[in-house]
Amino acid sequence: MKMILLGMNHLSAPIEVRERMAVDEPGPLLQKLVDSDDIEEAVLFSTCNRVEVLALTHSLENARHRLRAFFRRDLARDDYAADFDLDQVTYEYRDGEAVGHVLRVASALDSMVVGEPQILGQTKDAYRAAVECGACGPILGRLFQHAFSTAKRVKTETRIGERPVSVARVAVDLARQIFERFDEKRALLIGAGEMGETALRALKKHGLESVSVVNRTPERAAALAAQFGATAHGLDELEALLGDADVVITSIAGDTPILTLDLMSRVLRDRRHRPLFVIDIGVPRNADPAIDAIDNLYRYDLDDLGAVASENTEQRAREAERAMAIVVEEQQRFDGWFAALRAVPTIRHLRDRAEKIRSRELERVLARLELGDAEQAAVDALTQSIVNKILHAPVSRLRREAEREEGMAYLEVARVLFELDDELDRE
Amino acid sequence: MTVQILQWTAAVYLAAGLMAGLGLALETRRLERASVALLALGALFHGMSFALLHIADDPPPLTDLSAACSFMAWAGTVFYLILLKRSRLQRLVVLVAPAAFLGAFLAALRSPGGAPALSATGSWPHAHVLLASAGIALLGLAGLAGVIFLIEHAQLKSKRPLDRRLPLPSLEALDRVNAVTLAVGFLLLTLGVVTGMIWLQTTNGRPWSGAAHETWSLVAWAVYGALVVARFVAKQGSRQAAASAVGGFAFLLFAVIGLELIS
Repeated sequence: MKMILLGMNHLSAPIEVRERMAVDEPGPLLQKLVDSDDIEEAVLFSTCNRVEVLALTHSLENARHRLRAFFRRDLARDDYAADFDLDQVTYEYRDGEAVGHVLRVASALDSMVVGEPQILGQTKDAYRAAVECGACGPILGRLFQHAFSTAKRVKTETRIGERPVSVARVAVDLARQIFERFDEKRALLIGAGEMGETALRALKKHGLESVSVVNRTPERAAALAAQFGATAHGLDELEALLGDADVVITSIAGDTPILTLDLMSRVLRDRRHRPLFVIDIGVPRNADPAIDAIDNLYRYDLDDLGAVASENTEQRAREAERAMAIVVEEQQRFDGWFAALRAVPTIRHLRDRAEKIRSRELERVLARLELGDAEQAAVDALTQSIVNKILHAPVSRLRREAEREEGMAYLEVARVLFELDDELDRE
Repeated sequence: MTVQILQWTAAVYLAAGLMAGLGLALETRRLERASVALLALGALFHGMSFALLHIADDPPPLTDLSAACSFMAWAGTVFYLILLKRSRLQRLVVLVAPAAFLGAFLAALRSPGGAPALSATGSWPHAHVLLASAGIALLGLAGLAGVIFLIEHAQLKSKRPLDRRLPLPSLEALDRVNAVTLAVGFLLLTLGVVTGMIWLQTTNGRPWSGAAHETWSLVAWAVYGALVVARFVAKQGSRQAAASAVGGFAFLLFAVIGLELIS
């Protein structure tokens, strides 16, 4: 048995290609794939960043052609295939490399954002879809179970996903350092910027409920407010709203800061120095850096958040090296199991041959002896036991040796000694 | 028997502190959780030792410094464990456990038959030591929370926030600890001062002897009175409250324990 993986990801193919290849319902396509003679088992993995097919086959070359045809005809749907060169946008892995790749993908080491948590769930979905349509058998099933346990090891033994690397998540993390819980906090969104909205969404995901939106144009403020279940206000209400807010996200257009030292000093004094977290995503900045001097006010602009995010990214890269060591170790473990499967046909034929000899000889002897049913059963059990005991040591050794490449010689010798080649060839 | 239990208590607190330190160094949450469990076990032993003390002696000789420190450590630990249920304060165990160890260790070192430093007749000295020690323990917790608050505040202000693998309590949680421990601690300290005066009245015939311990304790109580007013009436800001809690506790330690050691 051989394994082959053909795929494309965010590094090998542009999004225009990947989005055309994306599959929502992999079941029917996978069934079509495993119905062909060349593919024994298959799993199709499709997310916004990758499309991959992993297949188990007896013939690598045939499977390779079949998978390429699958990408062109079934995924790219021919009409579009002419627009790109499949060789340039895809990668191919075989056997151990394919195993290593699956483990890396499940452990989020091959992701656009290394260590991101979603990929494991997506991998599980792909595996489940393949199992449900009958395309994933015992061998790929074992590989995916191994990939899930590897991902779990990576998660628990490294800190690869602990520190946020997006500006929005960094802002949430900082807010959690200031506030114990968000459900009783109020947020104020000043201006309508995409990043501001992203940061607000991230905070809402962590329980923040009360939101006010301030904008120069009331219509835009109302539209945003409707989106977040918030109240809309004009800029003239800014000072009063700042007094009530706990988190301020500001990204309004303007040449001069709107959160000045004078304004914020007044606000903090009026609010009896309750802590205030200002996330300034505006360019140019909306909050005067001089407000840092005010006690109980914590201001972070885009550069500050970016610096934390990039420090976290560096830390993730360091953790990724540790995670790779785990993946390599787990890959070797799976490779050993997979290689041991090579011994299965030899062992099966060895047992068959021994059983044939035992049955023939037993039949001959029983025909000569006049034994009752109980005695015949006892002799039958005795011969079975003798055969099993004789075969036990060589079979165990063959299994062990098959896990190593050098151990293939043992399989050769077994085939010659017990004249198994004819039977294997016939098969 | 009491000393043996105190020795066990000190050993368990020490193990909790070491485990918490190890958990912090190795970034292992399980070790941290285990250290909290050990701290709770230590507090249980510690409580048992006080219960036994009540059975063995009447009234218990709590009026010497080591016994008072031991009671402070126990009260502080129990209050911390209560607060732990409401806020993310788990990481504070790395500071609370060593402090509790010191309190229990000092008491375990004390010779079993050691004479109390003050004459201890009747229930007023007992009440005075229990209330004042519990008050000091809580104000100590306020100081501890203040130290962590100031560190976190400085890191956030310098735009180099602490590594989230060291998830210290949030500023809001630390501020809440500060407010609660200051309020309850000051109340207990006040009751400690009042019972101390009654004790003096019953033994000397007047509530004031003019001893340095009494004068400085009263000054410390007045300082905390001012801090309570600043915090709850003048609505002092969180950072100032944290700094006040640290400064106030340093002064209280000097007034109550420092002077005792010097004299």
